[in-house]
Amino acid sequence: MNRKIARLALVGASAAVLLAACGGSAPQAENDHVLRIAMGSPGDAQIRVWDDVAAQYMAAHPETKVEMNYQQDDLYQTIGLPTLLAGKNAPDVYFEWTGERLKQRQKDGFVADITEQFTSGPLKGLFTDDTLKGFSVDGKTVMVPYSADVTNVLWYNKALLEQAGATPPTTWDELLDACTKLSAAGVIPITTGNKDLWPAGNWFGHVASRVVGEDVYAQTLSGTGKFATPEWETAFGYIKQLADAKCVNDSANAIDDNAGAQLFFQGKAAMHPIGSWLVSWAIDEAPDLDFDYVNLPAMPSEAKGNQDSVIGVATGYIVNAKSPKQKEAAEFMALLNSPENVQKLIEAEVTPLAISASEGQEIDGRSASLSSLLNNAPAVVLPPDTGYDLKTADALYAGIAAVLGGQATPADALAEIDRTLGR
Amino acid sequence: MKPARSFTPWLFMAPALAMFGFAVLLPMVLTFGYSFTEWNGFGPMTFVGLDNYLAAATDPIFRGSFVHVCLYIAATLVLEVLVGLALAGIVSAARGRLWFRVAIFAPVMLPMVVVAVLWSFVYNPDFGLVNATLGAVGLEQLQRVWLGDPATALAAVSVVSGWVYAGFYMMIFYAAFRQIPHEVLEAGRLDGAGEWALFRRVKVPMIRSVLWVGVLLCITGGFQGFDLFFVLTNGGPYGATEIPTTYLVKTVFRNGEVGYGSAMAVVLTVIVLGVGLAYSRIARRRPRPSAESGDEAADAQVGPSALLQPEGAGAGERAG
Repeated sequence: MNRKIARLALVGASAAVLLAACGGSAPQAENDHVLRIAMGSPGDAQIRVWDDVAAQYMAAHPETKVEMNYQQDDLYQTIGLPTLLAGKNAPDVYFEWTGERLKQRQKDGFVADITEQFTSGPLKGLFTDDTLKGFSVDGKTVMVPYSADVTNVLWYNKALLEQAGATPPTTWDELLDACTKLSAAGVIPITTGNKDLWPAGNWFGHVASRVVGEDVYAQTLSGTGKFATPEWETAFGYIKQLADAKCVNDSANAIDDNAGAQLFFQGKAAMHPIGSWLVSWAIDEAPDLDFDYVNLPAMPSEAKGNQDSVIGVATGYIVNAKSPKQKEAAEFMALLNSPENVQKLIEAEVTPLAISASEGQEIDGRSASLSSLLNNAPAVVLPPDTGYDLKTADALYAGIAAVLGGQATPADALAEIDRTLGR
Repeated sequence: MKPARSFTPWLFMAPALAMFGFAVLLPMVLTFGYSFTEWNGFGPMTFVGLDNYLAAATDPIFRGSFVHVCLYIAATLVLEVLVGLALAGIVSAARGRLWFRVAIFAPVMLPMVVVAVLWSFVYNPDFGLVNATLGAVGLEQLQRVWLGDPATALAAVSVVSGWVYAGFYMMIFYAAFRQIPHEVLEAGRLDGAGEWALFRRVKVPMIRSVLWVGVLLCITGGFQGFDLFFVLTNGGPYGATEIPTTYLVKTVFRNGEVGYGSAMAVVLTVIVLGVGLAYSRIARRRPRPSAESGDEAADAQVGPSALLQPEGAGAGERAG
């Protein structure tokens, strides 16, 4: 009997040790002369540039090998990056969005202070001080700036709007008017592929920020207060208004972002709310499409937010605080942001934030205009999923989808969001 | 004969045991351990006792996911097992059965993700085959956003599942039908039984054991369903197709709630085990047909072991 108890105790102790061993964070690695760089897949064109820069770096530093890790976007955004960071061969440099995610990485100890690299190191003189401010926390620069993406604007098909006698909408009423005219012309006014919830989620997240005000939007998404308030109910009322007016495709919540965009590319829908990445996508898949964009139309007068706000997020690369190769990491990022490589990034439809981006190669007019829109925005709103906690964003997105699909009233959807988040 | 060294058998078994321990036992133990913690997968781990289990018990999405999976299983019992049985009956009685069998079985050989992508085009409300066909035959009023309407989404996914697995069950039941002694069927025919009467009164009762296995496979397979739901609807619309596995994956891999997800995994495992055990007990206790009932097939049931035999093997001529 005693022997049995002893065996059981041994098994229990072993399990506990294994549990502790598997749960612990990885110790700091020694310099193995392999520079590991991780990111969500940026697409073939950008991958070619990154691979080329890696080859340039290895040619100049034969003792160091550069390993690129391009993960599927959703995977990287969710469990992919945390898994890599917790692993034995954690990345030395990794892609990240600014906002709540950056703060979380810093809290977890994976963010190096690289201020010195910009003042006296290899990154000196590559970025303006204004640019670096957006990548600093508590006065310390913690990211190498890469690009700034507008997360959502309203793209429109010029010919379809003209044929229907509508103008690119700059106010909410003009948007509703355009919907009426386009529907009468037999065209889907607005297409979105919201199966994965973020496309319409970001769009109406921006609508909500315009209505409740940027501060209330940020506070609520950061965990302060409830969603079920009169302000948020007013904001969600506009989603219902669009749904009731049949402005959005019936299939919105059944198809993914790609299928949603195809309706726009094929001329079946006149408008498409999505981010700046549509430019290169449309050039590839619908080269004859004549399209442009307007920022989210201004909401009616009761709205409390800045009606010229832009929803967007700056992205950059963090040097891992636990990496023994921080010097090499800074050198690599300096090489990426050299004038020659910045021009290659521009050719790959990136709008880099390096100073040299304004010289030489011309960016597509729409991309340049979007970049200017973001840079000159009086208020920048962070998207729920990259700027804030993912669970909060998902609850908000689900509520938006339910109202858009006519499955819940604004009040019920907001109450459900609070319930999901335990508020 | 007693082996010379008592540890020799253990040496031979060691690789298999090590693999089993590493790939099955260890993850199970760890998952059970994680279920009592709050952990995001890489940061500090906090012991929270039974909190995750209490949260799961009061989580309406998690509870609802079991309702959805039960409805899905009920639908697939009809669309997979019953349809598979009917197809097997047709195949075993009709001519030209080879091509028919190949055609029905072909979807089973496709990866489920490929099937799901294929059917997402079929169901596409804007340019998909289903709505286009309905429009072409003048049934526009029946056109739907099949995967975007909570009233139709679960049924739409179940139909795809049936399209794939009806062929699988057809092959199982067809193989069992082939094991029925030819003499039994001949006797039935001499008594004036038609194909329908033979199917209902002779063939099906004689493969009852195989049917029970088919139903068990369908039920346990239903609880394990994931890929079809993940690709076609990802739990939507509005959670109408959320099943325990899709919710679990979102919880762990999207929200980073490893502790809570582990508790859900433990609950799911316990429920599947419980259902399996209950089913086995019911299957063991089921009333066996008696001689008084006039069921001649009672003593000559074809069991699951028949499936392991190659076609044409066994005693004498087999039914076709």
